[in-house]
Amino acid sequence: MKTFKYYVLAAGLAFLGCSDLEEEPIGRLSPNGFYSTPKDVQTTVNGAYGLMAEEAFWGRKLSLPLMVRGDLARIGINTAQRRLDHDEFTVSDDNGMITEYWPRAYQIIATCNQAIAGAESVSAEADVLNAITAQAYFVRAYVYYHLVRLHGDIPYLDEPVSNLEEASSISKTPAAEVYQNIITDLQYAEQWLPDTQSTRALPSKASAMAYLASVYLTLGEYPMAASKAQEVINNEGRFDLALEDDFADLWDFSKQQASREPLFAFDFNGFRDGNFGQDYMPPLTGIRDNITPVGEGWSVIMSNEEFYNAWPSDDYRRDISFVTESTFSVNGTPTMLPYQNWSQADSRNLPEPFIAKYNRNLGNTSNGNGRGSELNYAQMRYAEVLLIAAEALNEAGPSPVAEGYLNRVRARARNAGGVIRTAPLDITGLSQDDFRDAVLTERTYELAFEFKRWYDIKRRQLGPEVFSGPDAYEQRPNFDPNRDYLLPIPGDEIARNPNLGPNNPGY
Amino acid sequence: MRKKSISHFFKYGLLLFCCLLSTYAVAQSTISGRVVTEDGEGILGANVLLKGTGVGTTTDINGDYQLDVPDDQGTLVISYVGYTTQEVPIGGETTINITLFEDLSALEEVVVIGYGTAKKSDITGAVSSVGAEELNAFPVQTVQQALQGRAAGVAVSTSNGGEPGAPINIRVRGNTSIGASSAALIVVDGFIAGSLPPPTDIESIEILKDASATAIYGARGANGVILVTTKKGREGKTRVEINSSYAFQSTTDRLDLLNADQFVAYQQEINPNFEGGGANTDWQDLIYQNGATQQHQVSVSGGGNGINFYTSLNYFDQEGVVINSNFDRFSITGNVQAQATERLQLGANLFIARSEKDGISSQADTGGTGSGDVISLAARFNPSLGIRDASGNFTQNDVGDTVDNPFAVATEEIENTKRDVARINVSGEFDIVDGLSIKSTLGFNSTNQTLGTYSPSTLLSGANGGEATIENARTTNVLTETYLNYEKTFGKLEFAGLLGYSHQNELREDSFAGAQNFITDSGSFNALQQGSVPLPSQSERTERIFQSQFGRVNFTYDDKYLLTATLRRDGSSVFAENEKYALFPSAAIGWKISSEPFLSESEKISNLKLRASYGATGNPAIGAYASLAAFESIYAVTGDQTVNAVVPLQIANPDLKWETTYQGNLGVDLGFLRDRITMSVDLYNMDTEDLILGDSGLPEYFGFLNLDRLVNVGEINNRGVEIVFTSRNIVKEDFTWTTDLNFSRNVNEVVSLINGEDIFLDASPGSFLIDQTHLLREGEPVGVFYGYEYRGVNTTGTAPAGTATFDSDAAAGGELYTDINNDGMLNDDDRKIIGDPNQDFTFGINNTFRYKDFDLNVFFQGAVGGDIYSFTFSELAGGAANATTEVLDRWSPSNTDGSVPSAAVRAQRVSSRFVYDGSYVRLKNIALGYNVPESASNSLGFDSIRLGVSAQNLLTFTDYPGVDPEVSYKNRGNNLQSNTSQGFEYGNFPNVKSVTFSLGLRF
Repeated sequence: MKTFKYYVLAAGLAFLGCSDLEEEPIGRLSPNGFYSTPKDVQTTVNGAYGLMAEEAFWGRKLSLPLMVRGDLARIGINTAQRRLDHDEFTVSDDNGMITEYWPRAYQIIATCNQAIAGAESVSAEADVLNAITAQAYFVRAYVYYHLVRLHGDIPYLDEPVSNLEEASSISKTPAAEVYQNIITDLQYAEQWLPDTQSTRALPSKASAMAYLASVYLTLGEYPMAASKAQEVINNEGRFDLALEDDFADLWDFSKQQASREPLFAFDFNGFRDGNFGQDYMPPLTGIRDNITPVGEGWSVIMSNEEFYNAWPSDDYRRDISFVTESTFSVNGTPTMLPYQNWSQADSRNLPEPFIAKYNRNLGNTSNGNGRGSELNYAQMRYAEVLLIAAEALNEAGPSPVAEGYLNRVRARARNAGGVIRTAPLDITGLSQDDFRDAVLTERTYELAFEFKRWYDIKRRQLGPEVFSGPDAYEQRPNFDPNRDYLLPIPGDEIARNPNLGPNNPGY
Repeated sequence: MRKKSISHFFKYGLLLFCCLLSTYAVAQSTISGRVVTEDGEGILGANVLLKGTGVGTTTDINGDYQLDVPDDQGTLVISYVGYTTQEVPIGGETTINITLFEDLSALEEVVVIGYGTAKKSDITGAVSSVGAEELNAFPVQTVQQALQGRAAGVAVSTSNGGEPGAPINIRVRGNTSIGASSAALIVVDGFIAGSLPPPTDIESIEILKDASATAIYGARGANGVILVTTKKGREGKTRVEINSSYAFQSTTDRLDLLNADQFVAYQQEINPNFEGGGANTDWQDLIYQNGATQQHQVSVSGGGNGINFYTSLNYFDQEGVVINSNFDRFSITGNVQAQATERLQLGANLFIARSEKDGISSQADTGGTGSGDVISLAARFNPSLGIRDASGNFTQNDVGDTVDNPFAVATEEIENTKRDVARINVSGEFDIVDGLSIKSTLGFNSTNQTLGTYSPSTLLSGANGGEATIENARTTNVLTETYLNYEKTFGKLEFAGLLGYSHQNELREDSFAGAQNFITDSGSFNALQQGSVPLPSQSERTERIFQSQFGRVNFTYDDKYLLTATLRRDGSSVFAENEKYALFPSAAIGWKISSEPFLSESEKISNLKLRASYGATGNPAIGAYASLAAFESIYAVTGDQTVNAVVPLQIANPDLKWETTYQGNLGVDLGFLRDRITMSVDLYNMDTEDLILGDSGLPEYFGFLNLDRLVNVGEINNRGVEIVFTSRNIVKEDFTWTTDLNFSRNVNEVVSLINGEDIFLDASPGSFLIDQTHLLREGEPVGVFYGYEYRGVNTTGTAPAGTATFDSDAAAGGELYTDINNDGMLNDDDRKIIGDPNQDFTFGINNTFRYKDFDLNVFFQGAVGGDIYSFTFSELAGGAANATTEVLDRWSPSNTDGSVPSAAVRAQRVSSRFVYDGSYVRLKNIALGYNVPESASNSLGFDSIRLGVSAQNLLTFTDYPGVDPEVSYKNRGNNLQSNTSQGFEYGNFPNVKSVTFSLGLRF
């Protein structure tokens, strides 16, 4: 039995490290047992904020279509077809902007659903926990509000997917029902969110109320819209809301955090992790080959001369919203050139006024060309709440209260960096129709390039007028009111779940 | 362009083939006789030579010969393959009959198979062998490069042909997967996934191709298996070998670009205000240089008293053909075998290596403003600018995206990879009883890699005060296997059996750190603390465990009928909960017809064997933890503060499993004229099922961050033929000529996809702003190009019937495309399949000539029928970059029949205009060697001295107008192993041609 020891050796080697093949994912986060404190719910809601401040959503893929589908801004030349398609209304069901923001939007929703479901296994004081969960309700409503306005009937989920088969075959939820769910979510948010938050990157009670007002306005439920907006205005002290003194400061990164005007904002801080925390609006609206203000943009989005010329030249907001002169290196010498001559430097600089709001004061950038700035993108400003109130009240007939709200916005515009101008003058004594037009026009000045205009065109059905009318800023012969007020659901999504078909008319 | 059309190659090839045939002609006489076997049968084709001269002949079908000799005092040397050579003094005789005896050692050639060896003649599967001589025909950095063109059905590709230290991929019999790697499994001295030693330390490589051969590797066998056997010591005198080589290298070709004047004129047609920079810079000239490769090896081997040893030191150094790209490696290989007792044999294999690579960026994936790679920048950058502007800063492009010049990027950016590798494998084999033995192995393989990068503040990529990153990756792999081998002969039946157990644990740990805004650029990535802005740091740990049992039986009856069956049961931690274990069976039969009585006497047919096999193998295809539900942490900000944030990553998938390939193989081995000509033909068919596709078919509204939730759907098929042919055309003492030829044809087809829906894919650089470049479609090969069909220049401004223009380019001089649906406009519906990157066939032709002490090796390698999509030419035709000289014939009002569109900035589009035939044949190697005569080397104190000079890639025959037809562009989301993105080209580090001098000493 001398050889016995070898058998022992062999057997020892053979069974070295036997295991049951169960994976132990050290360092990976598992949903199992994740939720125990309110902090875990907040961490999940933070995930939703992170997903929104990313390229596939607010960084570029959603914000760019919203900008160029309107009549105040256009797409540049020699850029991607997927972008051109939105400006020219030639979108097809595999448009590369939609197929990117669509999954991202639903990831944000799923994250909110996860936070809401996770909160159920947390034991904490209702007002502490619900104040956090209410953020998830708010964000879910915010995202569905975009989707329902863009696509109409859409798949609607309000809990995490657990039964794959069932969830794979759901039908679209009618837009009206989606709106109703949005309202329900916002009402929950209004109930539980605090009056104020430590930062405008978190929604407060007023944010929920302002969005309710906006949703009602979109639905044409003007009395409800007016009442919600006025509830905010009447409690502006309690909600710590005010118009920023100087309109220009709204796009100064160093003043945004302290500003009392935003009701909800996407927060970028000049750091990023890949595309997370990276905004692209500065280079998209920046100028090719220039030196200042911010150099080396991409000339992908610019405004148009018609809008610029239509805007009264004594309005301070016009100065702030546009860039019409920029320095370029001409034969090695920095030279100030008017926009008409920028194409000398690069043919992609179309002879149009450019958008200034996102290249004004953007702080540190984590990437070249102004990408990854420190800007915050206000999704709802107090000025808009005032304009919602003015527009909604007017639908019940001319009203001095409505005039007052409109004129508050115009009065602030007269403060040109501390110098008080006379323009724009107060508006008074208009007919109901003229006042409605005045508010809509005011929205183009006050909220220019803030991703609102397309939704205004859609909700007021202005398409034929603004894309082919005699005073149209942009002529867009392709615009078809029977098709283009809605975007398609991605074709491959319908292939994955045929119950989502048929697609919207025209796609 | 200095390349020759591919048709030249085939013209001359035919000529050469005729030459080859003519050598079978016969000579005449004075001495005559017959050469016979022991059995008295005449031998056809035996060589009869007058020793020390070139005088010789071969025997005819009866074994008869006649030979003219100058006098009757010489010695005849009679040789025939497979037989022991004999020398017979003439001694005045005019008739000399000779009997040759079989050299059994040659017939009993042994090849390595999984967990053992087998007689080559008994193999029932499809196995290719490549020996040390072919592997070391010319100096290469890795074994994989040495395999190119050497074995049928083996495709070697690199995305960066001439880059020092570039990773290389080997595929056996096509792409067996879509989402998972198709790289073959590498087994080094029995160590699964062991680190490869340099080619100079390798004795032989066996490539297992069919299921019969690979199924013993079960879940990891589907892509083929490459068995590497390192050199071992032999009993006898201690041998010292010194091998050194030095190669001079240069680019194979360059692009013909506009010079500064031509460029400025061209740009001024686009933008009349354009002004040149006054310089005339050839950026290709600035970044390309003559490179050099040197390799030195010292090995000591020998054995005695039951202990054999082999030890080798190896140094490899390559200075790339692009400035600031280099690679060096120092390695030690040591192998010891000891007969510890009469019945116990112990062995130890050791390999350690240190390599360092300084890279330059190539194949930019974004390529937009601020970013770019050295290679593509050299093509597109404004030639009228110098390296630095008037104020001393590096120039930046002012047409197209603003980018740094290629010289600045090549010289300023740092990309340094250090890699330490250690592999130790010990084994013990014990003979339990006669015919039964047990073997145990315990192996440890570790790689440690550190990648450091730095972009200084002088570049756009380092504009935030410089950016440094460090990435560490450590992989440790522990493998233990124990198996029983049993061999026994029962009368006419020979039996061999194998039964074993294997356990493997692979642990990978990664970490990443980085910073921006440095005090100075001098610290590079070695002082992250000097950067005031830290980048988010990361670390990760993944572990994979394999646990397997395997067995094999071989039956041989009467040396005629062969049967092999194997079975492996693999368990893996990466398999999902409900599918932890998989079974992979295979079976094969063989019939040695030439051993049957009716053929065993045949002179013409010396070998005829039929083989057939069928079996299943797997591709694990699953990353660790891929089947588990998970959250992912992401970057998020509220109130300017970075906060903790998680999002749902993926849902659990308890049914996720491996991909399975079912492969059938039919083969025939042939030998003619006593194996002077041998040939093997293999036909195979592989169905890969349960494919794991990137797109799972689950709706995106589920909202998981990981859209690529893995599920087993989809099927692809590969089928093909492989032919290997060897002919000893001339076998004389002073002159031999051998031709080896291999040919492979593989056809692949996507059989089924989710819901039959096309899967669109994108391989374009980000700055091209293109969404779709190629697709997967049922019934089509994998990864066909998809886009518009280019119809030339719109000479008149009116699109002819059947064509249309884009609105933005409707004027005369623009581009015309086919209007597929005849609606007068161009949109997505006007796209179609415009190219197929899959090659029709590949081949290698190797001719070896020996004359006295000289030998000459001529090795051609080629691939025919694969299309290339060139993003480089697309970018250079786009107007926002420098252009090739073809734009000198651009359309203009004064040149309305110009061959290319007018000067204009146009959007990048996928079109047939940039699809090229990538067929090529290249003279991969031509080598002349000289063995210094024994007397001379002995007088210098050496056993042998060998001198060599060779050239690699000296000639390339191709119609592809780009720099090199061996391309593969790997960008966002694609890695080297990608099976779907093939044939794309952008910013590839070019292949090189070399002239190599080598010296080999032995004492």
